[in-house]
Amino acid sequence: MMHDEQLRKIVDHIFQAHPEGVITCEECDRQLHCLAEKVAAGASLSELWPEVEAHLDCCPNCNEVFQALVSILRAETSGALYAADN
Amino acid sequence: MADRSNEQWLLDLQSASGSQSLALEDLRQRLQRGVFYYLSRERSDLTHLSTQEINQMAEDLAQDATLRVMENLGSFRGDSRFTTWATKIAVRVAISDLRRARYKDYSLDDLTAEGDTLPAGATNSVTGTPTIGPENETERADVMQKISRAMEEALTERQHKALVAVALQDVSLDTLAEEMGTNRNALYKLLHDARRKLRSHLEAQGLTTQYMLDLFRQD
Repeated sequence: MMHDEQLRKIVDHIFQAHPEGVITCEECDRQLHCLAEKVAAGASLSELWPEVEAHLDCCPNCNEVFQALVSILRAETSGALYAADN
Repeated sequence: MADRSNEQWLLDLQSASGSQSLALEDLRQRLQRGVFYYLSRERSDLTHLSTQEINQMAEDLAQDATLRVMENLGSFRGDSRFTTWATKIAVRVAISDLRRARYKDYSLDDLTAEGDTLPAGATNSVTGTPTIGPENETERADVMQKISRAMEEALTERQHKALVAVALQDVSLDTLAEEMGTNRNALYKLLHDARRKLRSHLEAQGLTTQYMLDLFRQD
């Protein structure tokens, strides 16, 4: 049985074919760490590299890595990284 | 822990002297700290684990990640801090490992057997579930029928299986690629093509992107 959340998921997946063209996971990965540093410092991904942002919208794998990396970098800057294991 | 420049990290990690083992240990500790933060603060699915258990996981993952970093040292281009690049590798190792554990018994056959795919008719989507507002039930049900039909008509069997697994089951691309005997990039392209075909198919019936997104976002 499909629930509302599932309906949204399938609709999102169908309509998220990004118009900028396909960026593969490999291409995305090559930029991910540089972009994560900039986003963690306050830059906007959509302004930096919209194609990568479009890829992240469609690719949960790369998106998860990107979000995790940004989160760790921010924690490093704020000092929370060092507080976490105390 | 020494704060090294990118050049110093590379020099030390490739050194034949004692500075290599020191750098390796510094790197491992640094990756462990990042992974521990991620596991303990960002993973809601691990809240049942004790700090000690998470720390052990982080230690094991950091060990694997350090080896992976060393194997890939030649591909570091110097376009970010070395530690950011290494942390990316550690995060990938951690996420892949957690996904593998989650889907270790996953099979596409199971997915089909469960029938957890788009319903032939959409009326069952509202049976007993008050999640869809009544004013839009008929409209959404009609659209769901069209999506279901479009998936049958426009997609290959392989595209259909992949889209259902990823969109509805949250199966990771790595797991699915392995199951389907392909790689992640090829699978990503397969899914991209599937979505594009479906979108064209639906737009030809007057179902535009904005209309669909609005319809399924209404409360």
